[in-house]
Amino acid sequence: MAKTAADFLLDVHTEPLPARFVAPALEQMKAGAVERLKGKLVHGEVSVCGTLRHLVVRIDGLQASSQDSRERFKGPKESVWRKPDGSFTPAAEGFARKYGIPASELKPVDGVLYAEVEKKGEPAVVVLQKLIPELLGALQFPKFMTWEESGFKFGRPIRALTALYGAEVVPVTLAGVTSGRLAYGHPTYAPKPVSLADPSGHAKALRAGSVLADPAERRAALLAELEAAGKSAGGSVDLDPELVDETVFMTETPAAVVERLKPEHMVLPAALLKMVMKKQLKFFPVLAQDGRLAPAFVGVRDGLHQGDDLVRVGYRRVLEARFNDAAFFFGRDCAVRLESRLPELERVTYQKALGSMAEKAGRVSALAAWIADSLMGSAPLDADIVAAASRLVYADLVTDVVKEFPELQGAMGGVYARRDGLGDAVAAAVEQFYFPVGAGTAVPATPEAAVVSLAGKLDGLAGCFAAGLIPTGSADPFALRRQALGVVRILIERNLPLNLNEAVEQAFRLQPVSAADADALNGQLMSFIWTRAESYFEDQGFKSDEIRSVRTGAFEDLCGTQRRLSAVHAVRSDPAFEPLAAAFKRASNISKQMRFELQGKLPDRNLLKEEAERTLHEKLLELDAASRARFSAGDYEGALKTLVPIKPHLDHFFDKVMVMVEDEALKKNRAALLKSLVNAFNRVADLSEIQSSAS
Amino acid sequence: MKPLSFQELILRLQGFWSERGCAIVQPYDLEKGAGTFNPATFFGALTSAPARYAYAEPCRRPADGRYGDNPNRLGKYYQFQVLLKPAPAGVTDLYQESLRAIGLDPKEHDLRWIEDDWESPTLGAAGVGWEVWLDGMEITQFTYFQQMGSMPLKPVSVEITYGLERIAMYLQDKDSVFDLDYGGGRSYGDLHRQQEREFSHFHFEDADVTMLARHFNEWEADGERLVAKRLPLAAYDSVVKVSHLFNVLEARGAISVTERARYIGRVRGLARKVMQLYIETMEPKAPAEAA
Repeated sequence: MAKTAADFLLDVHTEPLPARFVAPALEQMKAGAVERLKGKLVHGEVSVCGTLRHLVVRIDGLQASSQDSRERFKGPKESVWRKPDGSFTPAAEGFARKYGIPASELKPVDGVLYAEVEKKGEPAVVVLQKLIPELLGALQFPKFMTWEESGFKFGRPIRALTALYGAEVVPVTLAGVTSGRLAYGHPTYAPKPVSLADPSGHAKALRAGSVLADPAERRAALLAELEAAGKSAGGSVDLDPELVDETVFMTETPAAVVERLKPEHMVLPAALLKMVMKKQLKFFPVLAQDGRLAPAFVGVRDGLHQGDDLVRVGYRRVLEARFNDAAFFFGRDCAVRLESRLPELERVTYQKALGSMAEKAGRVSALAAWIADSLMGSAPLDADIVAAASRLVYADLVTDVVKEFPELQGAMGGVYARRDGLGDAVAAAVEQFYFPVGAGTAVPATPEAAVVSLAGKLDGLAGCFAAGLIPTGSADPFALRRQALGVVRILIERNLPLNLNEAVEQAFRLQPVSAADADALNGQLMSFIWTRAESYFEDQGFKSDEIRSVRTGAFEDLCGTQRRLSAVHAVRSDPAFEPLAAAFKRASNISKQMRFELQGKLPDRNLLKEEAERTLHEKLLELDAASRARFSAGDYEGALKTLVPIKPHLDHFFDKVMVMVEDEALKKNRAALLKSLVNAFNRVADLSEIQSSAS
Repeated sequence: MKPLSFQELILRLQGFWSERGCAIVQPYDLEKGAGTFNPATFFGALTSAPARYAYAEPCRRPADGRYGDNPNRLGKYYQFQVLLKPAPAGVTDLYQESLRAIGLDPKEHDLRWIEDDWESPTLGAAGVGWEVWLDGMEITQFTYFQQMGSMPLKPVSVEITYGLERIAMYLQDKDSVFDLDYGGGRSYGDLHRQQEREFSHFHFEDADVTMLARHFNEWEADGERLVAKRLPLAAYDSVVKVSHLFNVLEARGAISVTERARYIGRVRGLARKVMQLYIETMEPKAPAEAA
């Protein structure tokens, strides 16, 4: 054999793929190639890279040919096809012939005959010839298209296939394209393809053709270009991560072009200017030293810095035209007070069963007032601000700017509320109504904004649950998971001791539809919210058993729940804690077993006969009183820690005292003693949920 | 070198595509919202027979009129439309060549292909493709038709739609469409500004809603009648007419949100019948569903 291994390269050269298609396709190509080679050919590293016009997979050191193997085919029982004299029946001869061997070579194993066939190893090129169409045919794109006679489906038309195994072309024909050794550069800057001797020259050929095929390299080049551009504009580029990602897959060689803006455009709200730049034109805003928007922007062109002056003028002209449109919409919006837009909301449908946006606004207002009222006294709150803001939260949906840029909902409402002279507090509550908009983004900054935002989310959740629009799998068109997480985050991060059980009941009461089984629905929504709370707590580093230990009563006050959780987490590091949890579990199991007999019964001192149970009782009374005092003062960790010294006494009790004795009175009394110990801990957490780290 | 006038731009594109085997057909003589409505494209894309057409087409978008006051917005403008069936390999490169033919060297510009799938609810048509951006400005809609009348198309056609005014503004370095040099010593404004004023007035303030709604019903009924007579080309005129009547009624604010969907459904319904009939008539191999 001439060689044992060689490198493989597949470059699918396409017409421009949408930026969002590329990275997922590359991941699938890598996984798909590995999967398809498994058990066939041994190989080294599998790597992928690509651009909007290239999907490239490279396999290092791919075995030249698959191993020879023996395949076995099962026949009938030996006793049926073989005569006593050892010769074979005609049926057996036929079976053997099918596999190209004489019957005498049939092999008996455990009384059954097998035909064993030698299977020659396949050369890598043959394996790859089958692999390529399968691999590409299996790629999933967000949207498929067809473009040529064979009807092959792909993200965008395939223009060329470069398929090389070592120096050899892997011959395939797919979607009307026949593979070859030509590598294609940027269609504008390198229209002539380059012939490759083998895979090693591919990256270099593309680079020479103004294509940086490796996304990591392209990202680094982009960031360097942006940094230099920002500096030359006297500030820094606003590196919106989504736009950076998109630009990496919208360009083959990123080249940043910076241009200044006329001051008259800078009077528009910053959120609107940024939106026009990023969403409409994929330009990067430039920020001044103080973080405010600078009168400049950066566009990233796909290619070389050739004719930048023309490009710069073109960029500015198109951006100015867009700013003029935005200014036109903004001017129209400013001519109308937010307040007077409310009747228009009657004509906007929220959801068929749940009525118009005007009806939703009414419910949100009512719920916000209810929440404000129930929080009154425990949080500094101005109910008038809540009332004024909650009426207006949806008014901006019918403004021209928000119709044009739905992402600016809330932000524009805040701008218009401020212009209408409604004051900063109301404007902030309108602006922050949709907060938090994503993971790691801020929750509403004021208690009033938090209350209004909570009301919006709880109404959304209760409404959709009541209307049967409960998310399943990945489908969540009303973003209910995000809203539930928002509720959790707002309550905890704004420290609002709201009873969520009651608030959810109230939200359900306000809905125009009700479920047949209201309690079941309520329970379903509460566990939906709890799932979000669990993942929120897990993100903060709490363990799942710790989270389970505070589940009971969790919604009465999520902030308290978080503090109880912190207490369990902190106490857990105490070396005495885990053995205590084990002993506690035993106590808890006994008291659970006898819960019907106990019914709130307290231990009777006169029935405590043994020294061990008297000591435990005395010690418990003492520690429990101290723990209770800590708990009332809000020191949950202290409350738990105070109870830890009960451990030796509990162990001693279990050593010396039998609980399950014949004497009913003694038995109940001992169980009641354990029950009061369990109760002392349960104020903070149910320690029986805590898993020993040893087990 | 003097930049191309508006009419030279059209002539160059006609020349370019003529040399590449396209029949240069003329605009269709009915009001319409897009070059796709020209029968060359509408019917050209439907059957299996090869087709190559190119033409300039006036398009009316009543709701986009701005009384001739907005330098970038028009209620009537021109598209240059190319239909290629089957889609030639490397058609995006062919398009780049056409830009060179009108004096735009892609090397000196930022040419981007931005995902933009096209859909015409009134024609039940959908395609996959891009907006082509030249230095950030959308100058072309580039589409691989995937279906029409909600039926998959085979072979697939490519439709290239150049936004002539935008390209001319770029070439001539003008900030207002009305300042464009049209050719023949005229500006675009000389020829179009008064039209913009009058038609904006007509579409937004003056159109007779009762009459237009009646005409919609009548042309729809006539389209159905002609379908029954198996005259797809004649019936198609009704599709174009009701589509435009709908656009005027909508610009006039005479159609509510709920009515809107119904109107669109009616246009699509008629369009679909015409398409099916055309395929039955022109493509004898296709299984005849009617009978």
